[in-house]
Amino acid sequence: MGPLIPNEIITGDWNFVIALLIGVAFGFILEASGFSSSRNLAGVFYGYNFVVLRVFFTAVIVAMVGLLYFDYFGWLDLSKIFILPTYLAPMIVGSVIMGIGFVMGGFCPGTSFTGIAIGKMDALVFAIGLFLGIFLFGEGYPFIADFFNSGDMGNVTLTDVTGIAAPWFALGFTVIALAAFWITATIEKKVRKNMTEYKF
Amino acid sequence: MNKNYLFLTLLMLLLAVGTFFITKEEGYKNEIKPEALLREITQPSRYVTTDQVAKMIIEKDPTLELIDVRSADEYNKFQLPDAVNVPLKDILTEEGQDNLGIEDMNAVFYSNDDILADQAWVISKRLGYNNIYVLKGGLNCWIETIIRPVEPSETTSQTEFEQYKFRKAAGMYFTGASEITDSNGNGTKKPKVKVRRKKKEKAASGGC
Repeated sequence: MGPLIPNEIITGDWNFVIALLIGVAFGFILEASGFSSSRNLAGVFYGYNFVVLRVFFTAVIVAMVGLLYFDYFGWLDLSKIFILPTYLAPMIVGSVIMGIGFVMGGFCPGTSFTGIAIGKMDALVFAIGLFLGIFLFGEGYPFIADFFNSGDMGNVTLTDVTGIAAPWFALGFTVIALAAFWITATIEKKVRKNMTEYKF
Repeated sequence: MNKNYLFLTLLMLLLAVGTFFITKEEGYKNEIKPEALLREITQPSRYVTTDQVAKMIIEKDPTLELIDVRSADEYNKFQLPDAVNVPLKDILTEEGQDNLGIEDMNAVFYSNDDILADQAWVISKRLGYNNIYVLKGGLNCWIETIIRPVEPSETTSQTEFEQYKFRKAAGMYFTGASEITDSNGNGTKKPKVKVRRKKKEKAASGGC
């Protein structure tokens, strides 16, 4: 994980311990956000519940802005973090498939397990389908390997590709996200008759 | 609408705008503290003598890395065996730093005397490199002690005679070897320098 293991501050054996702790925390937050209910999740596609959009957008902008501050304060070295390599076309196709699965099944892979954890039958069926899909993908890999590995752009960031400084993206995403929060709130109000406002 | 939402919206917006004002200054990440530099600079152990270097070259010590900080012209006229040329003005470039900080290697800077080499040492030390040394007296001292050693007077100690003997033999090793290549009729061949470069620092790998 992160800077600790590559810099030999702790040994690689800790990987699983850290992964377990992060997994537990992730699952807890998903459950607490209401992501274990397929009604909540699919609601974003029908316009009656935008909790998915709000949670994910919140995570994105908080992490995005937060990392820039962490880097500035010297708590984190942004040049050393792992960046997932970009394969543009395969990623677009993959995310369309993921989106179709999401709206059909009412879960995404992570949330289906939080659903199982609280005993949802539909989540269990979804997870079985998930493993079936993984199996089919593995068996069919030779047929799609060429496309799967095409268009490797390397471990690039938006700043690397466009040359626009990171704060512009942070501000842009924040404005879009905040606008989305307010717009979706009004849509929800119109679509849902028995709307109860979240209090905190 | 809830007042808290309005407050959070404004806070997030403010933080996002704030990222424009926190662009980091371009600095050297590993720069050492002035106190540490002062401590290191007063250590006599940062110097190596010409005898030590001669011995290491003769024994083909694989950890020795000679760095010539004089200009390329001077380097082409004369250099120590297997020395790489990094003129002092290039020491801050990426290429110049490739020769420093190689694992298990001891870099020795040398110039005509030890002034330029000392400057290179201070710059490299401040950049956070370790295992770097300066050839005491530089090439002038090299010529005086190794190439043209002066025979000590008869009353001097045994150790000095032994040192003289070593220098005499080392001098023959360095000057004699070059004469042989000349007599073969190959002309003055430019010595091939085996350059070792530092491995590039890689960002952390692994998935999510």
